[in-house]
Amino acid sequence: MMMRSLFALLVLLFTAGCRKDRPDAPEEAPLEVGTHGVYIVNEGNFQWGNASVSYFDPATGAVNEDLYQPANGEALGDVLQHMVIHDGRAYLVVNNSGKVVVVDPHSFTTTATITGFPSPRAMLPVNPSKAYVSDLSAGRLSVVDLAGNSITGHIPCGQWTEAMVLVGEEAFITDQSRPFLYVVNTGTDELVDSITVPRGGNSIVLDAEGLLWIACGGGSGTAPALLRIDPVARAVQTALTFPNDGNHPWRLTTNGDGTILYFLNEHVHRMAISETALPGMAFIPADGRNFYGLGVDPQDGTVYVADAIDYVQRGVVLRHASDGALLGSFHAGRIPGGFVFR
Amino acid sequence: MAGSKLEVVDSATYARYGASDLATLLANESPVFIKSYGLGSLATSAFRGGAAQHTAILWNGFNIQNPMLGQMDLSLVPVASATDVRIQYGGGTALWGSGAVGGSILLNGGTHYAEGLSLDAGLRVGSFGQAREQLRIGFGDARWSLSVAAFHQAARNDFSYVVNDDSRRQRNAELEQRGVITELRRRVGSHQQVHFAHWYQFTDRNVPAPMHATQSEARQVDESQRITGGWQRNTARADLHVRGAWFDEGLWWYPNGMEVDRSRARTAIGEAELRWRPARGHAIGLGVNSTQAAAISIGYVDRPQQVRNALFGTYGYQHPEERWSMSASVRQERMDARWIPLTATVGAEHVLRPRWRVKASASRVYRVPTFNDLYWVPGGDRQLRPEQGYAAEAGVVGEEHMGRLHLSGEGTVFTRTIDDWIIWTPGPTYWSPMNLMRVWSRGVEARITAKWSSGRAIYSATLRTNHVVSTNQEARTPDDASVDKQLIYVPMYSGQLRLGVECGRTSAFLVGTYTGYRYTSTDNRSYLAPFTLWNAQFSHVLKVGPRGDLLLDLRGDNLLAEDYQVLADRPMPGRAFHVGLTYRFKQHRPAP
Repeated sequence: MMMRSLFALLVLLFTAGCRKDRPDAPEEAPLEVGTHGVYIVNEGNFQWGNASVSYFDPATGAVNEDLYQPANGEALGDVLQHMVIHDGRAYLVVNNSGKVVVVDPHSFTTTATITGFPSPRAMLPVNPSKAYVSDLSAGRLSVVDLAGNSITGHIPCGQWTEAMVLVGEEAFITDQSRPFLYVVNTGTDELVDSITVPRGGNSIVLDAEGLLWIACGGGSGTAPALLRIDPVARAVQTALTFPNDGNHPWRLTTNGDGTILYFLNEHVHRMAISETALPGMAFIPADGRNFYGLGVDPQDGTVYVADAIDYVQRGVVLRHASDGALLGSFHAGRIPGGFVFR
Repeated sequence: MAGSKLEVVDSATYARYGASDLATLLANESPVFIKSYGLGSLATSAFRGGAAQHTAILWNGFNIQNPMLGQMDLSLVPVASATDVRIQYGGGTALWGSGAVGGSILLNGGTHYAEGLSLDAGLRVGSFGQAREQLRIGFGDARWSLSVAAFHQAARNDFSYVVNDDSRRQRNAELEQRGVITELRRRVGSHQQVHFAHWYQFTDRNVPAPMHATQSEARQVDESQRITGGWQRNTARADLHVRGAWFDEGLWWYPNGMEVDRSRARTAIGEAELRWRPARGHAIGLGVNSTQAAAISIGYVDRPQQVRNALFGTYGYQHPEERWSMSASVRQERMDARWIPLTATVGAEHVLRPRWRVKASASRVYRVPTFNDLYWVPGGDRQLRPEQGYAAEAGVVGEEHMGRLHLSGEGTVFTRTIDDWIIWTPGPTYWSPMNLMRVWSRGVEARITAKWSSGRAIYSATLRTNHVVSTNQEARTPDDASVDKQLIYVPMYSGQLRLGVECGRTSAFLVGTYTGYRYTSTDNRSYLAPFTLWNAQFSHVLKVGPRGDLLLDLRGDNLLAEDYQVLADRPMPGRAFHVGLTYRFKQHRPAP
């Protein structure tokens, strides 16, 4: 009797388990990429191959969590650091996968893949046929021929080159590890100057008055700061330094006409370009959220802020009106880090 | 450890995996989930829903987990590093210290007393350019036991796989490994023994890129020296052990074939333990352990050092008629200038009827942060707290003979909570570890084996099922959807069916292993599909002279060429075959 019940117990243990392990299929309707919409650049996890690009249509509120995989039947790779639309093509800079993937911005099907980058970070088209790609480890920029989709040369520059902006004939390039902002002549592809700034230069924008703003995370004895730089004189005009190194300004961006700066420093902050002091209060407090990406719609000033949560689930994007009021939220892909508006 | 589940890898299984690595053995013969990055690449364990750092790997009683990473690459541990392999389930930090949370793998050397000369020489070749040679020479008389084993293996690991209907070949996955393991024991007088073991190993391998990266030129070289030694005195009333260990592990990382990141960790351990039997059935133990570790890495500013001292005690009781037994152990550790929470284990077993036992145990467990958690620049945090929690299990194990049919089985339920679970999360510019999660793991493990003998043939069938639910219990941000969701890369369901036939000197096995959904997101929306692998093994032993054996074995892996991934974006091989030939010689066969 006892033996029989013991065997029954064993059988029970075999069949135990009431939890369903099969995940529900995602409820996703294919979405047309419209004329006015927001691409969300989802980094994906390092070495998991799961970077993605989400799409949000502000007119209908519809979201597509990933455009790439359904269009190409293949994962994009990882870590998607940057996306830029140029001349009717979208360029996806996939850092750890060492490639720039060229896709049609509507269908998102791949038209070319540019390889040969050690650790690409961002891409800056400098004229209709040429672009620069910054790099985390190469110590040089790659020069890409946009017609042939290939690397045609290199410009020795810095160590960990990051964000880039074009001012006339010159490209300004930040460096995350060295305390310089580099100036490259886009006609001759030569490094022509460097401007001393704090370390950790992570983002750079051009404002309404034709001046540059750079966000530096600081480090190695340099303080975190926002700097306003005159690109013609190649000189720092204003340096707004943060009080201690617990601060980390990044994801610097502007509204459509370049009169208001937005950046992340745990919370979302904003300030007019005419300000001479850093903002005191947060524009959008994080309230325990893990703010990781920031973008401002150039048409209507809507602020998009991405919460990466724990980095291992799909992120949430919060939409705020330009007066700060919460308009709504939606889910994006894994680690949403950037926004591209069209 | 009375009351907790223990599995001993039997000698036949050990022989079949003798030319393999620990990751392969555990993946095929245990419920431990092996997170493999691919053939010849990093493989770590998830034991009862824990992280890689929650499995203790003990070699001759000492934890060989790398102090920098707190984990062990099980693909680098040859099964031949031990002659006795045991899988101890459940929380064992009161006995083995930090890290023995989900379970422990116990690797122990053997003795060769009175065997005279012995020899094992093996050759093995297989798919993807795999080749392995090994040689062991032993000597044993009444006083001495000596064994020296050397091995070498190389592989191209250039299997092909399919991505998006496009067949590709794995590149940059070549591996070469060599090592020497020496064991020496000597009996002194009638009650004493001294022992010494040395394990040198060198592995040079290329590290392939994930499926969606363009290429990889990365290379990793691991070189380690491990020494253990000790003296013991055993009498009717007491055992005294004094032992020590010295581990030196170097890792050279060449991210693109050129520049090199070096790291090196050294660990010295001293331990003394007295076990006293004051009366029949009672045993009391008391011991001290001192562990010193130091590491060098480009990730550390200085050369961090860690001193951990522990005091531990054990008590065991065995009923005179062996109707029941119990044990209790307690350990207090101090790391540098901080007290680690007191840990303890209690367990008991009761014999219900002949060959049937019920058992239960409970323990408090902990894991100290690794060197990288504490000292890595940037990101490391010296203020991290140890992970700690509680584990309990209960089970029944038994066997029955019914004529020519022999049935045996074991069923276990377990639960474990861990607080302050450390995870690394990316920040704006670098990753850093935090005491972030509270994790509740619980599950059911069952095994049933039927053996039926007919004439000279023994037919056997073993079915194992494992159900592990391991969930995060705490929201980290307002929109965190991971609460009450399964941890990533912990299969909720897995199982194994093993069919065998043994007839005299010939045996054949067919093993099917099912691995269920593994989630790749903490909200459990992304996942890898379940897969089933079928492997077959055939072996035949030929008598060569009165004292020699020649063992021929054939193995086929993934016979149905299942296309699967254990970890996201890491390709796995299709069908593969191996053939091995081993010659064994033993001058004397000591009476068992």
